[in-house]
Amino acid sequence: MSALQLTDVTKSFGKTEIIRGVNLAVKQGERHAIIGPNGAGKSTLFNLITGRFPLTSGTIALNGRDLKGLAPYQINRLGLSRSFQITNIFPRMSVFENVRCALLWTQGFRYSFRHLVARQRKLNDAADELLNSINLQSRRDIPAGLLSYAEQRTLEIGITIAGGAGVIMLDEPTAGMSASETEYVVNLIRDVTVGKTLIMVEHDMGVVFDLSDTISVLVYGEIIASDTPANVRANDRVQQAYLGAAIEAEH
Amino acid sequence: MLQGRVFAPWVLCAIALLLFPYVFQSNSAITIMNQMAITIVFALSYNMLLGQGGMLSFGHAVYMGLGGFMCIHLLNFVEYDEWWIPLPLLPLFGGLFGLLFALIIGFFSTRRAGTVFAMISLGIGELVAACSIIVVVFFGGEEGVSGDRTYGPTVLGFDFATQKEVYYLTAIWLLIAALGMYLFSRTPVGRMANAVRDNPERAEFLGYSQRAVRYYSFCVSGFFAGIAGGLFAINYEILTEENLNLATSGTILLVTFLGGVGHFVGPIIGAIVFTLLQTVLSLQTEIWQLYLGILFVVTVMFFPAGLAGLFAIHNGPLQQGKLMTLTVPYLKTVLPAIIGLLACAGLLEMLFHHRHAATGEHHMSLMGVEFAVNSVWPWLLLLVVAAVCFMIVRATAGDLRDAWQAANTPDTPAGTLAEDKRQAGGSA
Repeated sequence: MSALQLTDVTKSFGKTEIIRGVNLAVKQGERHAIIGPNGAGKSTLFNLITGRFPLTSGTIALNGRDLKGLAPYQINRLGLSRSFQITNIFPRMSVFENVRCALLWTQGFRYSFRHLVARQRKLNDAADELLNSINLQSRRDIPAGLLSYAEQRTLEIGITIAGGAGVIMLDEPTAGMSASETEYVVNLIRDVTVGKTLIMVEHDMGVVFDLSDTISVLVYGEIIASDTPANVRANDRVQQAYLGAAIEAEH
Repeated sequence: MLQGRVFAPWVLCAIALLLFPYVFQSNSAITIMNQMAITIVFALSYNMLLGQGGMLSFGHAVYMGLGGFMCIHLLNFVEYDEWWIPLPLLPLFGGLFGLLFALIIGFFSTRRAGTVFAMISLGIGELVAACSIIVVVFFGGEEGVSGDRTYGPTVLGFDFATQKEVYYLTAIWLLIAALGMYLFSRTPVGRMANAVRDNPERAEFLGYSQRAVRYYSFCVSGFFAGIAGGLFAINYEILTEENLNLATSGTILLVTFLGGVGHFVGPIIGAIVFTLLQTVLSLQTEIWQLYLGILFVVTVMFFPAGLAGLFAIHNGPLQQGKLMTLTVPYLKTVLPAIIGLLACAGLLEMLFHHRHAATGEHHMSLMGVEFAVNSVWPWLLLLVVAAVCFMIVRATAGDLRDAWQAANTPDTPAGTLAEDKRQAGGSA
């Protein structure tokens, strides 16, 4: 069974069709990248999968379960977690609090008002452990809004993986980073997503070919290829539509 | 050890509350303290929405007022139908009634935060205030509903006839309510309230429904507002339309903001300062509301973190051990600023006297000085004092800024980028 299965997914805003019949299967444990030119609908596709926008038609199934009509928080509880293209953290809360909040639901606290979070050793230890794994322990008590940009992106990845979701979706995790920051984040992503299914949108071709097992190319709301990096690189249609120009721009 | 650090302030507060009536013995002082305690509970419950949950409500008086009305009716049942309700338990019923209404209204109003929530709260506030004239049997029409607290069963020999007994009842409820609200903010749902305030969408992608988180905060806030209403009923033994209307809702917003929404103690400071202004300043001057309005505008414009924020930004210099280096620059700038502001207030008072005193009445006194308001000299004097003071402030403000920067900079140049930013944020 695929971790994520999209069947004939379409999405229109008014008369404009942004996603025009996408079929996509992401296998369990796969690292899957979605690439494509600006305006191809990559972020829209992300938002459809995570329940941010409703579908116009088609079905999306997570581990075989149809996600139709579910709210983002319900989809998250089924084991799908995402990051955002624009940094999306809790700026006025400390770095530690950010991570701890991300752990609350999966640790079973739900909407409890019987527990005091400071007394939950398992919860606090897990939060500290996660901070260690993303190397933000030294920033533990600083308001997250004051972190540097790269640190905020790192924190967001931490929040995204904290809940232990099996399917992780990252929207341009290295956007706006320097080369060394990018390398650091790529290694971090590789480490923290071991044994999980990763789906990411990314513009940096180096990152895409370095990290992914499968690449899908989205052009004007359609998947024109979905294959291994080597095959995608050799694909004529992809070359024509997108990759030639993109790889050229890299060099 | 952690426990000790957390609970020490609460124990100190309890001791202080115990001793206050012996320090401030007059009846009027105790009345003021009771009023403060009620306002503190109300303001803290309001801050659960505004500060903790990011919900701007223009109708919070509804929950306090309804809780209070319920309690007044219960008092009357105790008096006439001999219901057995000991007076100290009354605020609990007020709270439950506030909770009930919050459960109903929150169900649809917490669907969205921001403008939608604010507008619904405004509408509900207006609706309930209008009902108070229409549903006379519950709200008593224009004269309100009054009761008598002394008919209930005595508790440990107290019948709550004196102000002091009521003070202790109120103080105990203040402690319970404040501690309850503090502890709520430390629970998972309390933490998520902050998360939803900061970034509702992100919270949704962590498995939490933003609506549910807001709804829980809203209900608990309604409960504590109802407790404040019960305390009001016990203290004043009368509730009127005024307890529900938009003016009261606006006032609590002002109180909370003045104290600072970002800190738990903010609303407490705000309630104390506001009650003092309301009771003490209103005896001194007829235009106290003008000063209050100016204070509010100044707070919003220059100290958006409120009075509590004003204290909190001194934490940095304190930790650097440089708090004392600020003393002289503060004296040089703040002292003339205060004198200048007092001179301006004097001018306002004279203007008010000149316009509103009986014809031919030209004598007035300011801070014990008698003078004729139709002479030009007092005007000139105050104008000159104000102008000179503000020129001094302008001249010394740069030094204060430099001193502030210095006091916030660590001696060793090891400050990381993040720390520098934090200080910049703190002094802004």
